[in-house]
Amino acid sequence: MDSPHKESLEKMWKFVKGFADKSGTTFHPTPGVTDSVVNGLAAHVDELGKPLCPCNFYKDKEAEAKLRRWICACDEMQIYKYCHCLLFVRGDGMPITEYLPEDHEGRQIYGLIADPTPDKGRALRHRAPAAIATTATADGTPSKRIPNQ
Amino acid sequence: MGTNALKVDDAGWETEVIKSPGLVMVDFWAVWCGPCQMVAPIVDELATEYAGKLKVMKLNTDENPEVAGRYQIMSIPTVLFFKNGQPVEKLIGARPKKQFKDIIDQLLTQSASPA
Repeated sequence: MDSPHKESLEKMWKFVKGFADKSGTTFHPTPGVTDSVVNGLAAHVDELGKPLCPCNFYKDKEAEAKLRRWICACDEMQIYKYCHCLLFVRGDGMPITEYLPEDHEGRQIYGLIADPTPDKGRALRHRAPAAIATTATADGTPSKRIPNQ
Repeated sequence: MGTNALKVDDAGWETEVIKSPGLVMVDFWAVWCGPCQMVAPIVDELATEYAGKLKVMKLNTDENPEVAGRYQIMSIPTVLFFKNGQPVEKLIGARPKKQFKDIIDQLLTQSASPA
């Protein structure tokens, strides 16, 4: 991908800073990680008109952008507070995984990572399966295995 | 002096990976992917540490969509291991180096064992 336009980059930095604050997350302690992702989001704004997640491969980016599920902040972030791009993470750089289904790749990669700010974020939490939504917030350990969405 | 992972593309895939004897590791990555930046130095270190035993390659998914699509790559980074041209293991995400080494050691041990 080409380097993004300055305007797109500024727009994305403003968005991600605002969303991190709103969701109770922080940026990765390795600055290069955050810079890469924000550049990728801005480059997709230039290319597609939407900040499509740059940490996936898409056979058809334009078709994927229309589905909206991987437009930042993506469905996984809004439902589970999990950012596989490591853009919105905890202070220690770990992505929050406690609300994910047990068989989700995020749980398999990082294990159970608790949310330090459970009162923030997850605007679409109602779309999470009920078993996860109730037990994960109670003790951080989902009690029931459910399939991927 | 270390040996870094070698670039592979759609055109060279058959020759460099499928027809390559032994164990091949391929890092599917993209320029603006944050976790890919974390995995890249690990992949280069592994290329050095396992030189002569493991062929380590990297494929830019933005520039090489045919191969990435063929192996149904979704999240990146994804690292695939091939043995005699066949995919045998997959690791997704920014994992610690030890997890890569464990898989590589296991696959190399299997290769060394008598049939």
